[in-house]
Amino acid sequence: MNTHTRFTLTESQKMMVFILSMSLYGLSNMITELIPKFYLGPIEFSVEYFAFIPLSLAMIFHPLYAAIGASLGEVIFGEIMLGQFGGIGELEKFIAFSLAIFIAGVIVRNPENKKQVALGAMAGVIIHQFISMSVDILKVWVGVEELDAVEGLAESVVVIEGIAFLNDVLFSGILFALLPTLYLVPRLYGKIEPLLGMKPRKNDLQLGLSEIITVPFILAVVVLGSLSFLFEYLSETTFGWEWEAPLVDRFGEWIVFPVMVVPVIIALSVIIFLVKRKGRKDTDGYSEVV
Amino acid sequence: MDMVKTLTDKLSIEQVKIEILNTAYGYHQTFLQRLDPRTLFLWYLVFGVVPFFIHQTSVLIGLALFLIVLTAMAKVSPLIIFILTLGLLTQGGSYLIVGLFFGGEVTAMLPLLKLTLKLSVISMASIVVFCSMSPEKLSDGLLKIGVPGQVSFSIGYAYRMLPTLVEEYHHIFLSYRLRGKAPVKKGLFYSRQLFYYIKLLIKSFYPLMLSVAKRSRTMVEALESKGSLYGFNHPKVKQLKLQHLKIKRRDVLFFGLSISYFIILIGIS
Repeated sequence: MNTHTRFTLTESQKMMVFILSMSLYGLSNMITELIPKFYLGPIEFSVEYFAFIPLSLAMIFHPLYAAIGASLGEVIFGEIMLGQFGGIGELEKFIAFSLAIFIAGVIVRNPENKKQVALGAMAGVIIHQFISMSVDILKVWVGVEELDAVEGLAESVVVIEGIAFLNDVLFSGILFALLPTLYLVPRLYGKIEPLLGMKPRKNDLQLGLSEIITVPFILAVVVLGSLSFLFEYLSETTFGWEWEAPLVDRFGEWIVFPVMVVPVIIALSVIIFLVKRKGRKDTDGYSEVV
Repeated sequence: MDMVKTLTDKLSIEQVKIEILNTAYGYHQTFLQRLDPRTLFLWYLVFGVVPFFIHQTSVLIGLALFLIVLTAMAKVSPLIIFILTLGLLTQGGSYLIVGLFFGGEVTAMLPLLKLTLKLSVISMASIVVFCSMSPEKLSDGLLKIGVPGQVSFSIGYAYRMLPTLVEEYHHIFLSYRLRGKAPVKKGLFYSRQLFYYIKLLIKSFYPLMLSVAKRSRTMVEALESKGSLYGFNHPKVKQLKLQHLKIKRRDVLFFGLSISYFIILIGIS
């Protein structure tokens, strides 16, 4: 179908990209965990993450494997090894970060085009920070009962998270994603690929929209959508206690417990099922994205 | 300034390296260590998720006490506990300050304290579970519950490679420092120096990327020659590998007792 030769990776080359992205981003994550933070009033100057590593790898190699590898590296090096693994809370980070890096990698069609690289880097950071901001806000809204009873809490959470979002995008985004990516991608392009035994991505590679919207992309969107739906749904169940009052009267407070567990388990199993299906698609060889 | 000096002495890179390796590899033989990973996962699913939807303070306090005991039993490293409390305090504190600014009162404290309590219960649950699993156990457990073999391989690989990577990165960083010239003026709040070092930290990744690329190729080729890429998700290979995982009496006891404690807590309040 295609007139030009497609940039395809073998199974083991994908594994190489995965391991490369995982170990590098994992190591950088350990370092950023240790760099102290500076506060200037409510504005925080911190090295949030070295996003340039997965960003440049996603632009140079396969976006999906670089993205998943980086997220896994963060979980293993930055969380499990330092003993701060947050369990299920990490799932949200994992999905958000993978999606952001993946989209950033897909945006860049020609790694030598600086404009595309810059656009991709900023898009990746903005998507990731936006998702994590929304989740943080929801966390407080769901976690604190009688949110309205506390004056100013709902607004203050939005303000704090909004400032953090802007701060992360402008400070971390420019200093640790945009500039280093612009520095690294042209230097690495053509140099790092032979080390993994592959040819550089073609300059004239043009992707149609149908090639971007492939199975993994749709699945990622579905997973993300169901996750946000899960949050939405849970918030409904915790806030909507009133109509369950008779049940509580009859069985006592503990009825709350099993009632709440059911939606959690259902939602979790849906997510696990989706993730698993996604994994299987990956190994069975779906149509290549890039 | 003296205090800053002593602090920087204590926080030398060598010290940090040692502390990281300690946290990553230092395992004690505790009771929780001997449990089956699946028990721990299931236990975590209950104690790491359900507290989020509990709003009675008494239940939360009861849970927190229980988890403090477990955390003490798991012999968690002090560094982790320090990071945990710091994170919880700063988050709760910043919400409080801005909440006051928006016309809330000090009573705003109470729900926030509750949220902090809740979050600390959840974090303690994850620390207890994931600190009492050695990397082999964690990766075997993940494999058993159906996580792809690549993930459990990656955990093992990360534990193997961490010291090498840290060492190599440190070397590159030092050689950049040797060749470069640190700014003479410190700048406002050490800002010049800070930017210089951060720039070096970023630049050091360039050579590291190339050498890690080479290394990951070697790794994958070694895996290929052993047929591991094929075996990762092969049911028979998995079965052979995971034979040693068995649910014993202590697993059932631990899970049963902690769940009944939870239910009694909810029943009482």
